[in-house]
Amino acid sequence: MKNSFDEKILEEAHDWVKANQKVVLATVIQTWGSSPRQVGSRMIVNEKGDFSGSVSGGCVESAVVRECIGLIKDNKPCKKIEFKVSNESAWEVGLACGGEIAVYLEQVN
Amino acid sequence: MKLQTLKSIIEKKKNKSEFAIITNLKTGESEIFEKDKPLSKEMEVYSNQINEFFKSKKNGVIENSEIFVETYILPIKVIIVGAVHIAQYLVDFAKSLNFEISIIDPRGYFASEQRFPDMKIINKWPDEAFKEIDTNENTALIALTHDPKIDDPALQHALKKKFYYIGALGSKKTHENRCQRLKEAGFSDEQIKSIHGPIGIKLGGRSAPEIALSIIAQLVSETYKK
Repeated sequence: MKNSFDEKILEEAHDWVKANQKVVLATVIQTWGSSPRQVGSRMIVNEKGDFSGSVSGGCVESAVVRECIGLIKDNKPCKKIEFKVSNESAWEVGLACGGEIAVYLEQVN
Repeated sequence: MKLQTLKSIIEKKKNKSEFAIITNLKTGESEIFEKDKPLSKEMEVYSNQINEFFKSKKNGVIENSEIFVETYILPIKVIIVGAVHIAQYLVDFAKSLNFEISIIDPRGYFASEQRFPDMKIINKWPDEAFKEIDTNENTALIALTHDPKIDDPALQHALKKKFYYIGALGSKKTHENRCQRLKEAGFSDEQIKSIHGPIGIKLGGRSAPEIALSIIAQLVSETYKK
């Protein structure tokens, strides 16, 4: 059986919108190999870079925040980004667990 | 996503309906899918695949397309009998785990609004209380009073309705006596064995939050076994 383990993140997104913030939803839409969070996991980001929720175990969130701020600045509706396995010896964003994920960004408008 | 779509998703979740969000990843346009309701023309061609995701309660991108399906299912119903100290911690854990809790306790001084703010509390004896809750094999029961007058009727209801998880608080001795009473009431050994008693996984702690943690851990584990 499956429980929804809903994190009320959309409710929080709505609160942010009501507080006149610009909000981007970032959702895990595909995973390959061992990924930290399952498809449907979500975080929200505002124009200041505040964020809530997660799309990984902290591995790629900083890059997602940057991309989301970019999306708001460029006033684009949506974008798909992919993250692959990281090189542990380099300071780069990636998934140390060896998996790959695709994250979909969309502005609430 | 349009703000209007976001608002209706939140509304539907509040109203406890099951639905899916269908997003065209190319355009960012999304719509809400509900069983037996027509899809937009654009999404109609994917109707079979969307229904498949919805039925299996899965999220994902439809193969060879740019369509993402995200399903929203109802939280699992958990009925707690006994508005005791442990129940207060269970309510806290259940919030982040998204179980939908109802508390039954005929003793008004336990089941008070002040002890359980914003909770559905049924201030009646179990036989009466269960008339107000729709239960089935996807429901769980946590019996915490260890008072046979209150726990036993609830356990009997749960066994008859084949709840997927039934747990009862009490020592080994209390549980033995409980099993004996259920046997005398006509329940089979197999049915009685399905009750988790003494309730919870072995953590070692004996404080109320620790017992609540051990119960909720067992509940989550049993949820995934089913």
